[in-house]
Amino acid sequence: MFPFDAIPRVITHDAFTELEKGLIQRVDALNLFLNDIYGEKQIIRDGVVPEEFVFLSSGYLPQCEGITPPKGIYSHISGIDLVLGKDKEWYILEDNLRIPSGASYPMIAREICRRVSPETFRNHPVVDNRNYAKMLRETMDWVNTGGIPVIMTPGRYNAAYFEHSYLAERTGSERATCTDLSVENNYLYYRDRKQKVGVIYRRISDEYLDPMTFLPESLIGIPNLMDVYRSGNVAVVNAPGNGVADDKGIYYFVPKMIRYYLDQEPILKNAPTYLPFYQEDRNYVLEHLKDLVVKDVAEAGGYGVIFGNKLSAEELADLKTVIEKEPRRFIAQEVIDFQDMEIMDGDEKVLRKADLRAFVLSGEKTRVWASGLTRFSRNADSFVVNSSQGGGFKDTWVLSR
Amino acid sequence: MGKLKFEYRMELKLSSPVTDHYFALRCVPGDSLRQTVTLTQCDVSPADYISEAEDSFGNLKISGCCREPHDFFACRIRGTARTSGMLLQKGPLHPMYRYPSKYTGFESEVRDFAESVQEECRRNAAGTDMEKAVCAMHYLYTHFSYAPGATDIETTAAEALRLGKGVCQDYAHIMTAVMRYMKIPARYVNGLMIGEGFTHAWVEVYVNGGWYGFDPSNDLHIDEYYIKFAHGRDYGDCTVDKGRFLGKCIPETEYFCECGGYQ
Amino acid sequence: MGVISIEKVDHLYWLGRYTERVYTTLRIFFHIYDRLIEQPEGLYAEYCERLNIPDIYSSNRQFVQSYLFGEDNPDSVLLNMKRAYDNAVVLRDELSTTVLSYVQLALDTFESCRKTTAPLLELQQVLDDLLAFWGSADDYVEDEDCRNIMKCGKYVERLDLCIRMDYHAKYLEREYRKLCNRIGRTNLNYREENLKRLEDILIHESDPVKYRQEALCCLGGLFQ
Repeated sequence: MFPFDAIPRVITHDAFTELEKGLIQRVDALNLFLNDIYGEKQIIRDGVVPEEFVFLSSGYLPQCEGITPPKGIYSHISGIDLVLGKDKEWYILEDNLRIPSGASYPMIAREICRRVSPETFRNHPVVDNRNYAKMLRETMDWVNTGGIPVIMTPGRYNAAYFEHSYLAERTGSERATCTDLSVENNYLYYRDRKQKVGVIYRRISDEYLDPMTFLPESLIGIPNLMDVYRSGNVAVVNAPGNGVADDKGIYYFVPKMIRYYLDQEPILKNAPTYLPFYQEDRNYVLEHLKDLVVKDVAEAGGYGVIFGNKLSAEELADLKTVIEKEPRRFIAQEVIDFQDMEIMDGDEKVLRKADLRAFVLSGEKTRVWASGLTRFSRNADSFVVNSSQGGGFKDTWVLSR
Repeated sequence: MGKLKFEYRMELKLSSPVTDHYFALRCVPGDSLRQTVTLTQCDVSPADYISEAEDSFGNLKISGCCREPHDFFACRIRGTARTSGMLLQKGPLHPMYRYPSKYTGFESEVRDFAESVQEECRRNAAGTDMEKAVCAMHYLYTHFSYAPGATDIETTAAEALRLGKGVCQDYAHIMTAVMRYMKIPARYVNGLMIGEGFTHAWVEVYVNGGWYGFDPSNDLHIDEYYIKFAHGRDYGDCTVDKGRFLGKCIPETEYFCECGGYQ
Repeated sequence: MGVISIEKVDHLYWLGRYTERVYTTLRIFFHIYDRLIEQPEGLYAEYCERLNIPDIYSSNRQFVQSYLFGEDNPDSVLLNMKRAYDNAVVLRDELSTTVLSYVQLALDTFESCRKTTAPLLELQQVLDDLLAFWGSADDYVEDEDCRNIMKCGKYVERLDLCIRMDYHAKYLEREYRKLCNRIGRTNLNYREENLKRLEDILIHESDPVKYRQEALCCLGGLFQ
């Protein structure tokens, strides 16, 4: 299980208003980028994003070319990971536009906290966060092509099965596995082909979604689902192919996308990032390598992350050679000095690293859920906050005034 | 201008009945600048439904399903095609054809081979992309041997190069990878070739604002004796017949392909 | 099946009704309590009106205290719990000691959580005791007729509360069918026409809310 820490993260009303604006701006730009990449590719033609960062990304799926998802929305549910720096500024760590999970934990934590300590909530103006399911359902309804809503889970043995069934119950959707769903005549049906499915919130990743289009060995997908989706006869939440926009290499370009598509200055900052692909950045990276974190774009999930300050002189020299030879493969970032958070360790308060996953829902409008999943590392020196690696979570309070 | 008649027949015999059989077939040639097709027969059975659509790569795709138990499945396509050979098919380039893909990764075997091809190009003073492609095809043809059974449908360009032998699919993958490594966009093609009893695979290279075909297995330019089914980044994008069913059985597939001139 | 005295029948029936009243009102109360945390004063007025109990309360906080624990408030959940116990205590032979003890446990737990600032946590235990009471009743109450009478009381009460709270039509239909199933298996005298009319309203009327009062009358007069 995911350990819960009772001390909440508190975000003031004003701080949240600013955060909200920045998140909406960012997710809107990312959705426009996805529309563009699988459509006209204007941003590439205009030289804002070099094409190799798009077409070499493992998240780019050519099978999605030319498909316009219902209402033009690709990322319906975006999980944006941020950290608060010691300078009180939020920094974006990464965007999760595929199937970000974890929203059910703060909802349940809140339900319990309100029972355990009603006085706390009587005395503090905390925005209720248990409306997530309602927001999710509205988001699903907005893109529904005419049919029932379904939440698709890979099954009982998936780590997030609890969340899948919980969200299905709370949104009034059918919970389904691949055996409950089938394609016929370009429509998707639920059980015995009696009920047409209008929107499917699928909690399985792109490559397993349709064995006839992606990995043929997938046993948890729906054969020929992509035909239905291409015909516009079902909305898939989130759209397949979103991985191209939350890739480590593309991250660098998100502020540029905001300027390009929205003609606005980005409100939220990226962690300062350099792309050795560009000569100027490469010179900086090679000069300051020992102060930087270098990430291999091709490697996923914590692998291929190198802290310059931990390398010997020899290793530094080797890394420089590799970067010079294959500059496109890497991004380099300044180390952010994040603000630690208090957690209870037994009866004692200790300080730990923590991040925030904000949930942004894109339906008729783009909205930010007034809460979020605050994850912390349980070990003093660790930056790792994932539940799979022993991290815990906190409730996130947004104050209403 | 060529006039060809063709037939593609696939018969799947199953040692015991299977159910929930889904399929996606790319064995119907579509119209393009180099071929105009008239179908006289297009049967896929048994099937509860069949739908035809164009996929993201621009190929015709037939998909469908047969849910009820069955121990036999067949697809038969017949028709005629008017074809032009050695034709540059003008059209836009999708950037994905510039980059390595699953079967055409730039592993060391591919890099080394591509470097030798480049060396060969310099020796032969092949300067334009078209000249380089011809040179690459010829080099591949002479440095790789045709050997059925040495490779299978999972074999990548690098693996085939390590073996030094393979079939048309491997020739096409290697040439595609080498072209892309040399910064010349290329795509994998499959279809039928006159006189061949099997489906064939070759390559199209993007030069001078259009696609031009090469058959590295035969060291030939694509002339009017080829009918194209589909193309993609590699074999994985345009598999001729893909199927998936439930059941314990030994499937046995028989193909019958014929492509010949008429009149 | 032995003959059960009229008096015992009455106790069994009311034991079913009161235990169910405590169980369902607590469950509804959990939701109301959550809303009372930050919502404006007086939220309870609508609730009182629906349940047809006098609104004798002066603030959200006083409502929580008096409605849950008020010894002098005839509508308090605690008094209803006591009534359940009063009916149960004379039925030890029919119920068995095991089953009776869960009613006792529920009452004791209820009384002990009067002082807490977070009553929901401990009241959860009362719900658990009541569920254990019903579970053990199925197992330990040997006489089938006794069980059926208790369940008649339970479903009459549940329907009554759910009609007042405008529960979803599907839910009402399900509870109605449970009641019919039990009534048919007892020797209780009941008014056939009331049951029939209830069916009309709950299952066949397109807008059962319009007939709420009539449905409640049918239910109230079912055994008179």
